[in-house]
Amino acid sequence: MSKPADPFRPSRRALLSAGAVALGSCPFSGAVAAPAQNPAAAPESDDTAQRQPFYGRHQPGIVTPRPATGLVAAFDVVATSLDDLDRLFRLLTERIAFLMQGGEAPTADPAYPPPDSGILGPVIAPDNLTITAALGSSLFDERFGLAPLKPAHLQRMRRFPNDALDGALCHGDLLLQISSNSADTNIHALRDIVKNTPDLLILRWKQEGTVPARPAKPGTPPESARNLLGFRDGTANPDAAEADLMDRLVWVQADAGEPDWATGGTYQVVRLIRNFVERWDRTALREQEEIMGREKATGAPLGLAREYDVPDYASDPEGKRTRLDAHIRLANPRRPETDASRMLRRPFNYSNGVTRAGQLDMGLLFICFQQDLERGFIAVQKRLNGEPLEEYIKPVGGGYYFALPGVQAKGEHLAHALITAARARVASATTPNSKKTGD
Amino acid sequence: MAKRFAWLAGASMIVAVIASPALAVSPLELVTPIADYKLYVSRGVDTLVRDTKAFTDAVKAGDLAKAQSLYASTRVSYEMIEPIAELFSDLDGAIDSRADDHEKKEEDPEFTGFHRIEYGLFAKKSTEGLSPFADKLMSDVSDLQTRVRGLTIPPDKMIGGAAALIEEVAATKISGEEDRYSHTDLWDFQANIDGAKKIVDLLRPLTERSDKAFAAKVDANFATVEKTLAKYRLQSGGFETYDKLSEADRKTLAAAITTLAEDLAKLQGVLGLS
Repeated sequence: MSKPADPFRPSRRALLSAGAVALGSCPFSGAVAAPAQNPAAAPESDDTAQRQPFYGRHQPGIVTPRPATGLVAAFDVVATSLDDLDRLFRLLTERIAFLMQGGEAPTADPAYPPPDSGILGPVIAPDNLTITAALGSSLFDERFGLAPLKPAHLQRMRRFPNDALDGALCHGDLLLQISSNSADTNIHALRDIVKNTPDLLILRWKQEGTVPARPAKPGTPPESARNLLGFRDGTANPDAAEADLMDRLVWVQADAGEPDWATGGTYQVVRLIRNFVERWDRTALREQEEIMGREKATGAPLGLAREYDVPDYASDPEGKRTRLDAHIRLANPRRPETDASRMLRRPFNYSNGVTRAGQLDMGLLFICFQQDLERGFIAVQKRLNGEPLEEYIKPVGGGYYFALPGVQAKGEHLAHALITAARARVASATTPNSKKTGD
Repeated sequence: MAKRFAWLAGASMIVAVIASPALAVSPLELVTPIADYKLYVSRGVDTLVRDTKAFTDAVKAGDLAKAQSLYASTRVSYEMIEPIAELFSDLDGAIDSRADDHEKKEEDPEFTGFHRIEYGLFAKKSTEGLSPFADKLMSDVSDLQTRVRGLTIPPDKMIGGAAALIEEVAATKISGEEDRYSHTDLWDFQANIDGAKKIVDLLRPLTERSDKAFAAKVDANFATVEKTLAKYRLQSGGFETYDKLSEADRKTLAAAITTLAEDLAKLQGVLGLS
């Protein structure tokens, strides 16, 4: 059958001229004229047609530029067999591939509940959606026989000294990171997946977030988005366009002491870090900047002019320009021996409501990716323990996960190599002439 | 239709949903199941009135231990027929609302019924001040009995009732929010399941004719729920408190309940009724 024309690629010109007609007096006889101004009209966007590729060596949503909104949802997997787990990953692959591609929403006989929530209308726009699947260490327990296949550094997140972890906001067998241009697109995707997996997944916790957009300034370097403390966040990220660098810092490589199936994946850390914003806003600007190590307005390291200027800590051994315990100096001391601890951050800001004390419950939905969890996030966080910024922040949730390698082609699916390896182990353990029943 | 969906990634799933039942059920075939269900509901309300009388008498007599011991069992017949009770929303609110439903929570004057009395018996551990609530509950329950007697059960309320009961479980029973002072949630859980199962049983001949695999899947999930709940049954009758429910069993129940909710939401469609 022929593939239908892509509904998301009308020429911009055609859209604009159609809009021009619609703005004139309504020519349709018998039709009620649409109001010239309806405050409840949907906000218009030129970006709903943006589409990220699903298939590739790595999953989308990691080096993909961060769109304006994201959420993470952690699930308990209630599959009871390896076959069920396989079914889960095939189903997830099918849903994610469809949702990222967009197209006509599935429908059913009106006597049935509609299979799609309908919140994006009858035609689902891709809207720059990416969905990234990652596994928690708990999935590698005895349930599916995956223990021998666990990524070498994957572990349950443990409390750091400044943490106040809420068990209801931590861990999970499976994490989905969903990001796109709009919160409703993310929610549509989440509801689609929840509806299709009632016997396989139980939602454990979720957190939505956003980042402020900025006006496009052609010809100028990108600016990092600001967090809810008002500071640029992510400046020192390694350049995701440098494939070699990503292979060194983010992607798990073959022959690196990791199980074969994990090649092309990456460790993902999620931390819900509450910011005490009222208190922060009552802190002198100079103090804020010294705590962070950057100028608030420009994002430049203290004593420098531009955001991406590289601080020279070697010439400031006593911390006269940048305090020795400034956040950016501890996080990335810019020394050869700490270079390998660099990680790829892709966070969002969150805002949830009001605490019982009447303060704003908001903060950072911290997300980062690294080739080695210990060498990356854990090493960085250990350096940060006790930093002055801790007075203004409180990590309350999150977890450690392993983001699966990408799905390279149609017919394959997420965790394909993991499931195949697990089946091979089961088969070799039950071969009649094998001497032992397992290893 | 098929052509329209074939290019979609999710096509296989969708085709299964839009497949029409081979033999749609005619409204006449529902006459017997509905009559049987009416009988079930009437008996349920009669039991409710009888049990509520004993329960409220104990409350009014100031017999705390007896009132506490009768609380969970008295609710069972209400929870079994909840979809029908909910047709009378004024009574349902007065009989079974939770503190959460009221702006001033436990202190709200409109918070009445079973859970208000539960709050006194189990949180305050006293029957003091409960007499007016006991009288009101008895009167509301009797009113419900009268109204149910005169009720013609609409087919969609019966068929939809199975899903409605499961949604009750999915929304509040699975989390232990329903009976938060007494922790007797598993009694309600079982009663909701029994009420839903009754509807499914009465419709089974019709459901099986329309979609045998659907009927079998629903039965299997009911069996999972019943098997899991049975682990918490006490020899003396009734159930362990909610806090005894293991995390693994809670997940097993949640998955089976959510799957039942998705499936039973399709019951009307499977039966080919519009």
